[in-house]
Amino acid sequence: MKHSFIDRYAELDSPLHALEARTKIVGFTALTAAVLMLPPAAGTSFLLFFFLVAILMGVSQIPLEFIAGRTLMILPFVLLAAIAAPWRNDIGFAWFSALLTRSLLCLVFLVLLTNTTRFAELLRGLRRMGVPRVLVLNLGFLYRYIFVLADEIMRMRLASECRRVGRLPLRRELSLLTSMLGTLLLRSFERAERMYQAMLSRGYSADFPVAAPRRFSWRDLVFLFLVALFLYTIGRTSA
Amino acid sequence: MSEYAVQITRLSYSYPDGTRALDGIDFDVRLGERVALVGPSGAGKSTLLLHLNGVLRGSGTVRIMGRSLAEGDMRQIRRQVGLVFQDPNDQLFCPTVFEDIAFGPLNLGVPPEEIPGRAAKALRDVGLEQAMRNRSSHHLSLGERKRVALAAVLVMEPAILALDEPTSNLDPRNRRHLIELMAALPATLVLGTHDLEMVLALCPRTVLLDRGKIWADGRTEELLSNAQLMEAHGLEVPLSLRPRS
Repeated sequence: MKHSFIDRYAELDSPLHALEARTKIVGFTALTAAVLMLPPAAGTSFLLFFFLVAILMGVSQIPLEFIAGRTLMILPFVLLAAIAAPWRNDIGFAWFSALLTRSLLCLVFLVLLTNTTRFAELLRGLRRMGVPRVLVLNLGFLYRYIFVLADEIMRMRLASECRRVGRLPLRRELSLLTSMLGTLLLRSFERAERMYQAMLSRGYSADFPVAAPRRFSWRDLVFLFLVALFLYTIGRTSA
Repeated sequence: MSEYAVQITRLSYSYPDGTRALDGIDFDVRLGERVALVGPSGAGKSTLLLHLNGVLRGSGTVRIMGRSLAEGDMRQIRRQVGLVFQDPNDQLFCPTVFEDIAFGPLNLGVPPEEIPGRAAKALRDVGLEQAMRNRSSHHLSLGERKRVALAAVLVMEPAILALDEPTSNLDPRNRRHLIELMAALPATLVLGTHDLEMVLALCPRTVLLDRGKIWADGRTEELLSNAQLMEAHGLEVPLSLRPRS
């Protein structure tokens, strides 16, 4: 069965893709933090951010419709959180539009980060930045096995569809869902046992070693310098 | 050096729920020998294979290359015994193919600068393209995943290769590729399988396991053509050994 991967365009060959994972993690985190700290009335700064996002999107070579699709997918949740704002007080509408703009920008940064860096490199970057090994290891397993679990759910659903016609009463549907989740939990538990045996079989002790990481180069310095320059300009504009 | 790759005496093992999976097994494999473990589902084949590298520990003794598991260096044992699991999804747990292949050698202390060369060789050995190294295992077909799982073990250069149902769920072409691949390997081979035609093609010796016990041990053709024995243990004489009517 086929799935959509969060790093679908990470194999492209653009200047953004060529950067080391740590550079992009630091750069995009700084940009995200700056967006979140902008006051709601800082219209020019928001415009500058949109300008930057347009440049980054162009440089990254990731199709626009993919970025738009990924961003809009999360937008309903943002709208749900912000919907009450316009009626809250005098600056409600400004707050609402700022929240929407901030969310859009942050989501695009996230899509750019995850689609210009292979997930494995992102994990490696996090590890080299001192994120605890166990956390990185679990993120890696999550990425590797979420699709296996999705496949198992799809197979169980198919099996259930094959043995019934039409919809069941809600109570039966819920009971079916519960038993599917229970089965999935048990299967995952057993798979985890087998995985651990496979890890032991290949000499696993307690560490997860890393081979041949991408190296930090002059490109990374240039990117970080440009991000710092942009943030300085934003600081001056909104001051 | 011992002439035996594997020496097992009076090995018994019960799972935590009380199921007796192995019951007094005596089993030897000579260096360079290719042996098939056949038997019905639940016979204890996988459990026995998991004892070869000490992942499971039962009562009795297991000696690998002349050295007892109880006193041996586990790192050395796991370098010597490469275990390939039935479901490659259990074995390929890293984000990319390259990292999965690198996992074993790095754990065994191989210097990181040697890894890319060894990984490239392992991919070549199993007939996969080098471009595959950066892909996620989930993008691969089952046949490709099985080969990557084998590459992830071959890269550790094991003296003994233990494979659990290597051809299960493979289409005929991928099955044929895998059999040819195994036939070309110089390592001592222990195969746990239901695929009796593959056993005929690869292993001169077969051991019949059922309900945790060894019921027969002998030349493959003789053993597999014994209809009475095969049927008594939930198996069938392979088509290629049946008399033509």
